[in-house]
Amino acid sequence: MRKVAVVGAGMTKFMRRAQETGKELAWETAKMALDSCELTIKDVDCVVMGTAPDAFDMIHMKSEYLSDGAGAWRKPYMRGFLGGGTGVFTANQAWYHVASGLFDVCLAITEEKMSSCLPHPQGAFVTCWDQFTESPLGTSLLWFFAWEMNRYMTAHGITEREIALVSVKNKKNALDHPCAQLSADITVDDVMGSEMMAWPVKRLDVSPTSDGAVALVFAAEDVAKRITDRPVWVQGVGWCVDTMYIGQRDLYYPKYVEYAARMAYDMAGIKEPRKEIDIAEPYDPFSYKELHNAEGLLLCDKGEAARLLVDGETQRTGRQPWCPSGGALGVGNAIAATGMMKVAELFWQLRGEAGKRQVPGKPRRGVAQAWGDEMQVGTVIVLGV
Amino acid sequence: MPLDKVTQVAQTKPWHGSIPVYGQYTFGIAGERFFRDIKDKGRIMGAKCAECNLVYVPPRIYCERCFGELAKWLEIPNRGVVHTFTVAHADLDGNRLEEPIVVALVKFDGVYGGLVHRLGEVEPDKVTIGMAVEMMLKPKAKRTGSILDIDYFKPIRA
Repeated sequence: MRKVAVVGAGMTKFMRRAQETGKELAWETAKMALDSCELTIKDVDCVVMGTAPDAFDMIHMKSEYLSDGAGAWRKPYMRGFLGGGTGVFTANQAWYHVASGLFDVCLAITEEKMSSCLPHPQGAFVTCWDQFTESPLGTSLLWFFAWEMNRYMTAHGITEREIALVSVKNKKNALDHPCAQLSADITVDDVMGSEMMAWPVKRLDVSPTSDGAVALVFAAEDVAKRITDRPVWVQGVGWCVDTMYIGQRDLYYPKYVEYAARMAYDMAGIKEPRKEIDIAEPYDPFSYKELHNAEGLLLCDKGEAARLLVDGETQRTGRQPWCPSGGALGVGNAIAATGMMKVAELFWQLRGEAGKRQVPGKPRRGVAQAWGDEMQVGTVIVLGV
Repeated sequence: MPLDKVTQVAQTKPWHGSIPVYGQYTFGIAGERFFRDIKDKGRIMGAKCAECNLVYVPPRIYCERCFGELAKWLEIPNRGVVHTFTVAHADLDGNRLEEPIVVALVKFDGVYGGLVHRLGEVEPDKVTIGMAVEMMLKPKAKRTGSILDIDYFKPIRA
């Protein structure tokens, strides 16, 4: 397979409700990404679109609706969908479109406009649980997270206060992100004192719903080297799903994230991810998920993530920063776009273009991960320079 | 590119709409039998994969691991343990509930899977992981062939 690089990136400001339609968000972010590497839509051979449930935009088959804003006019175009895992998977799709030799330049776009779905996008989830055994109970998305968080805390003796530190760290990191929706300087006590949603999940443990879009440009090696002096190479990709039945999963540990990570690490030739990866963007839609996913990414032993957090090792200036972007908790959670925002963060960090967010020490390799679907998918990408 | 142009989102002009369809979905081969057994016989059934030595609850007609067909059904004890739980304080639209509710994942001995359901006859702060619970059914005349034919699970007093 051919070597593939990321050569450009664009991102709209994440917000509770954007005036732009989804198409307009897609166009804005695509234009930014193309401008960033001085390409035009004529240089693009194919387009991949990542966007989460149709019900968020309240438009059925929304990738078709979005296609013109995504620059897909008279081009090969397809949608990737893995629920919350979509954002990173769309980057993986762009990679194989180019790595396969079929296309030289692929534009990858992720879009979400969750403000369209009323009274709250959470309502859209009611129809994605098992219709017979789960939905009749009025099952809420929060319950699934609360069940998993409780199991994770219990298995390792981790406290709510330790987990709250993830929100504190990420919202603070987001203060330096120009596109952030919910950046803030808060304390553990603020998180602990915020409204109880579904114990042990409190309001400030939860990322917001967001409107936003992110785009990346992928190019084959010879083309990438013509476009830029600083290509960021895709070194590995991976994805994996577990059973969709909650009762059949190890809730305390995301085995499927580990499998996805191992797939990506094998491709990248990474033997010791704790030492060979400089920065990580694990998916953090809920505070405990950053820790849970980081363990699945083999960045520490099972149950050890909270200690690394408390010791400051995962701060932007720490040994291995996690979510230097500010993550879903701080930047916002425009589902598919947030997954790709994490890949874009690696791109900017590895090129030294992350501005006030720049991780010191010239990071050379990063891993980004998204998670979701029916709470059972892991999608992983490794980028390096 | 505009990163900050929306300042008064409430004044942006929206269109209003819904997706005008509704659903009617079959319970399926396994679901039909599972829910009829709860309704008519008041029992939980599982489906066994002899190849993988797994008993599926809720039952399936196939094993997701070996992909074999599951023909053998067996009754599951109506007692299980709380594998994990949450205390929900808000409804689906974010409104506060008058009384918080406890919802748990209940697992059964020797079973691959389990059921999510409400816990009853217990104070939320008394619930613990590992607590033994038993199934409480609605009266037979009130059962409709739904997971709600199980009223809730309640702690088994030692």
